[in-house]
Amino acid sequence: MRAQMVSAAGLCLGLAVCGSPVAAPPPPIATEHLEVTHLPAMNAHWAFLFDYAENSEIDARVFVYDADHFRQLGQIDAGYYPGFAISPDKKMSAVATTYWSRGWHGTRADVLELTDNSTLAQTREIVLPSRRMQGPPTAFDISYSPDQRFLFVADLTPAASLTVVDLNKGAPVADIDTDGCVLVIPSGPRRVSSLCESGRLLSINVGEDGHETSRSLSAQFFNVDRDPIFVQGIPTGNQVRFISFLGDVYTVTFGAGEPRFDAPWPLVSAAERGKWRPGANQFAFQPHLARLYVPMHVGREGSHKEPGSEIWVFDTDRHVRVARWVVDRKRYGGVIAVQASQDADPVLYAVTENSSVLMMDPRSGQIRHVEPKVGQTVWYVWTP
Amino acid sequence: MKRSRLDGWFEKSTRSLAQRTSRRGFIGALGQALTGAALLPLLPIDRSGLAAAAEPPAAKHDDPLACDYWKYCAIDGFLCSCCGGSSASCPPGTTPSPITWIGTCHNPLDGRDYMVSYNDCCGKTSCGSCFCNRNEGEKPMYRLSRNNDVNWCMANDNPNYHCSVSVILGVAEK
Repeated sequence: MRAQMVSAAGLCLGLAVCGSPVAAPPPPIATEHLEVTHLPAMNAHWAFLFDYAENSEIDARVFVYDADHFRQLGQIDAGYYPGFAISPDKKMSAVATTYWSRGWHGTRADVLELTDNSTLAQTREIVLPSRRMQGPPTAFDISYSPDQRFLFVADLTPAASLTVVDLNKGAPVADIDTDGCVLVIPSGPRRVSSLCESGRLLSINVGEDGHETSRSLSAQFFNVDRDPIFVQGIPTGNQVRFISFLGDVYTVTFGAGEPRFDAPWPLVSAAERGKWRPGANQFAFQPHLARLYVPMHVGREGSHKEPGSEIWVFDTDRHVRVARWVVDRKRYGGVIAVQASQDADPVLYAVTENSSVLMMDPRSGQIRHVEPKVGQTVWYVWTP
Repeated sequence: MKRSRLDGWFEKSTRSLAQRTSRRGFIGALGQALTGAALLPLLPIDRSGLAAAAEPPAAKHDDPLACDYWKYCAIDGFLCSCCGGSSASCPPGTTPSPITWIGTCHNPLDGRDYMVSYNDCCGKTSCGSCFCNRNEGEKPMYRLSRNNDVNWCMANDNPNYHCSVSVILGVAEK
């Protein structure tokens, strides 16, 4: 072999000598200058992919992803068991998290970190009391008031409470006991609500100083013993949709008065009930299409966290199922979370148990792109 | 003997937590979410673990290193058996969570239901081995006494979650 190579080289040299023009070498590669990439302007097809980093839980992060160009734009670090929220004006991302002075031990510090979504640079830190709820991601671990004056943080020690952070002052200003009710669901200009074991909704009004001015407890709207609702409610405008373990949809509407509860409607037929069940960390609603997306599986009592083998699609105006999309579990894994962009030309995201992210056409279910393994354990998706 | 040791441990841990916690809602949450052996007779017994009896008979249920071990019927996390501990003991250098939640698992090997305490072992970062997520009788976090999503290391001096155990507290009376 070596002899053949030498021979071929000699032939080439011979040809050149015989008069063939020698190709000019290409110009050198231009000098590079190290710089920091500038983010493009945010659009509705950005996705904030929440990686819980389950195998190294002090190292959660949120990947910022562009679903138009199928590329990662950057990262927001998120620490330990974080809560996450995008501000109502979309300009900021908020992370409530916990650090220790020596990595995994030492002095504990709970902090609220605010990141500028135009640069992904952290611009502000507010120290929190060390009682933050450490749980799975939901839309209600932390939440902004609609005018962004306050940010609410769910606490659990295991006594349940909430911390009110005044973003103008840059400091926590109130600690409000929630009587065992959990999470912080924004429900008015100066109101936040929590889910209670009694199947009721506790709503707390706060004043301009962030302190409680009044509270009210709704009538029971679900039954935790018969059919509990997932805490992963879907907030859209002034409504939140909750899915129950057996597959009923509970819609709560917030207004000036007390919350209004629509009559629940079923995702399953009588024959399917108890067999086909919802199961996921996240469900999705697309307001322009009036479509609800729910990962479903054939299950039993206790299977409510099993990944979906199918995504079922519902018309939320007519309360009917309009599609069943079978997921290739062997190829992608079962679906553990779905999210939809909120624009008129939307993208549907489906996160699988393999931490793959599928980008789908929310009208047809066609897969447009697959990110096969994102980070460690992506469990939730936020969209601006 | 084992029960007595657990009793003392729970009681001490619960008292210690109570002394560190003076919040108004503590008693309400604690009474449901925990706890000490003295409180055990007051706890409702979740018999939904009976669903395990419907699993295929070929399932073994008796390997503490496997997620289908009968005691793990509602465990959510890394099995301490794979992390240097056992199904009922924390790995060296970690600290048991003083608070937890209590469920019922059916043992198909002897036909009995057992009350089990799902404790987390704390103080080191996540073990990362043998992740297991079973949820028989598990409820969302608004029913904290039946929830396995929250970090039950939350009240430890070092609340880093490492792994989970399932400790038999006794036979569940029918």
